Amino acid sequence: MKPVIETSGLTKRYRRVTALNDCTISVPEGRISALVGPNGAGKTTLLRLLAGLAAPTGGRAEVLGRPPRKDPAYLAEIGFLAQEIPLYRRLTAEDHIGIGAHLNPRWDGKLARERLAGLKIPLDRPAGRLSGGQRAQLALALTLAKRPRLLLLDEPLAALDPLARRDFLAALAEAAAGGDLTIVLSSHLIADTERVCDHLILLAESQVQLCADTESLLAQHRILTGPRKDTTGIARTHVIVREDTTARQTTLLARLNGPVIDPAWTVDEPNLEEIVLAYMSADQAGHNAGPAGARLSAVGGGR
Amino acid sequence: MTWVTWRQYRYQGALAAALLAVLAVVLLLTGLHAANAWHSALSGCAKNGTCGSLGGSGLSLSSPTFLTLVVATSAVPLLPGLFWGAPMVASELEAGTHQFAWTQSITRRRWLAVRAAWLLLAAVVLSGIVSAVVTWWSGPDNALNADAFLANHFDITGIVPAGYALFAMALGICAGALLRRTVPALAVTLAGFTGLRALTALWLRPHYLSPVTVYYKLTAPFSPAGSYLGIAQGIIGPHGQTAVPNNGAPSYDGVPIPAACLHAAATPNPQAPVPCLAAHGYHGYLTYQPASRFWAFQGIETGIFVVLAAALLAVAFWVLQRRDA
Repeated sequence: MKPVIETSGLTKRYRRVTALNDCTISVPEGRISALVGPNGAGKTTLLRLLAGLAAPTGGRAEVLGRPPRKDPAYLAEIGFLAQEIPLYRRLTAEDHIGIGAHLNPRWDGKLARERLAGLKIPLDRPAGRLSGGQRAQLALALTLAKRPRLLLLDEPLAALDPLARRDFLAALAEAAAGGDLTIVLSSHLIADTERVCDHLILLAESQVQLCADTESLLAQHRILTGPRKDTTGIARTHVIVREDTTARQTTLLARLNGPVIDPAWTVDEPNLEEIVLAYMSADQAGHNAGPAGARLSAVGGGR
Repeated sequence: MTWVTWRQYRYQGALAAALLAVLAVVLLLTGLHAANAWHSALSGCAKNGTCGSLGGSGLSLSSPTFLTLVVATSAVPLLPGLFWGAPMVASELEAGTHQFAWTQSITRRRWLAVRAAWLLLAAVVLSGIVSAVVTWWSGPDNALNADAFLANHFDITGIVPAGYALFAMALGICAGALLRRTVPALAVTLAGFTGLRALTALWLRPHYLSPVTVYYKLTAPFSPAGSYLGIAQGIIGPHGQTAVPNNGAPSYDGVPIPAACLHAAATPNPQAPVPCLAAHGYHGYLTYQPASRFWAFQGIETGIFVVLAAALLAVAFWVLQRRDA
């Protein structure tokens, strides 16, 4: 089946800055994908390109089988929630629901009202007087009421306290339970999203470092710990993502291409955060260094 | 989208309607008072047969306060453009709400078109009502002083205020779309509107149609009928002598007095050289736009502002279509 999102070489350059460079990703239907990366890595740019709010300067994107465009038929299929959680400050939740009803073909106002009632968010209070968590929930409810097939959420958790975060993620997981909604959710830390996401896109320095199902990432990567020694033997069969060396021992995070035969290495399973951090720090370590060679070759399929 | 526009602008619309009602009541009351004063002055002068000189009699139909208020309505066409037009796009971009609006199932073109259409309509209706009341209010004053064609009268009556209102709204929307910030857009709207209004009123308007020039005998001064727009008036000699900068030599109305008439200029009465100058072939001239062109000029000036408004709106559409949100 065709992926919901498929981009190839997607690039966005502003006058001096390259916000997103040669981005090739693919997200299958029904995934909840975590779009992670440090601040300024291009996450917002990628989401805005997918939402049709910005036009790419290079490459192409296909979302739900067509390029993102400013036309109503496309916009009806996607829900976009911007980082600043924009709502009209003076308008109430009920006003916003009314606006959605007038501008969208498949609007489910009842769903939004029920969701807000369940969260005890007043419908008649101006959005400017709601708390940050309530605003985020209202914005999510409005985005879901559109009944999109693809939900693009830019740092929705950033403004929320831990309790509101938990509620928000629970609401997301519930919305995705049907299986035909695909969600891409950006965050600068994986820990927030690890529990609900089953797919991961890692951006760093405007480039894609990883794009794969979390399950296969966890299956492919291992932490190897052993006495300090030459790693060229390992690098011959496996891809070393990150190498840490102390006086006595060497710790590797590697993408394996088969069993590790050398008994000198202890093999452990990493968690998702360890994998993400390994790729992120590998990128920071310098583009000339060995581990950077691991970049992109780890992309699940793609090129 | 109409519902959405209404939802967002209903309080501002109600406020504008309330202000409009207050202004209309004030103008109606003072206008009725002025009309009464005018009619009693007319019946008074009819008894004495002095109606011909009523204009120069120093008769005042309204207090200066209300005259000032009426002249101040020249700002009315600017206000909707300033307070609704400039923030229309800019405040959305500033607050980020365009990301909400433009990811609903609607094109940006439609979002802009519906909203701009309603705001343009509101601006025209608002200015049109004020202009209609002011035109009615100015009737007696214009009949008394024949000043309908003069700046500050021409610009607040008839159809031009509606044209100005369209222009101000389009300028505000376009400035907001280009600058993406409300305060600079407000400043540009204010400066652009004031600048263009001054430019047209002071320099362009007198030349919409080629003016009429009348030469008249100095002994029989000429004044056109009705509310004409004077452009130049002076004296011209038989060899085309016209006014020169004052160099201390004897002159009449700026024109050097010929040697033959110097004897008349020696008296303290400034009008004394007139018969001599007339006898030596000097004429008075008046270049002006006749009162009959009032509505043609209203139409031309409205046309200019409407065309500019259309161009500005086209730019705003283009910018919002092309630029990233």
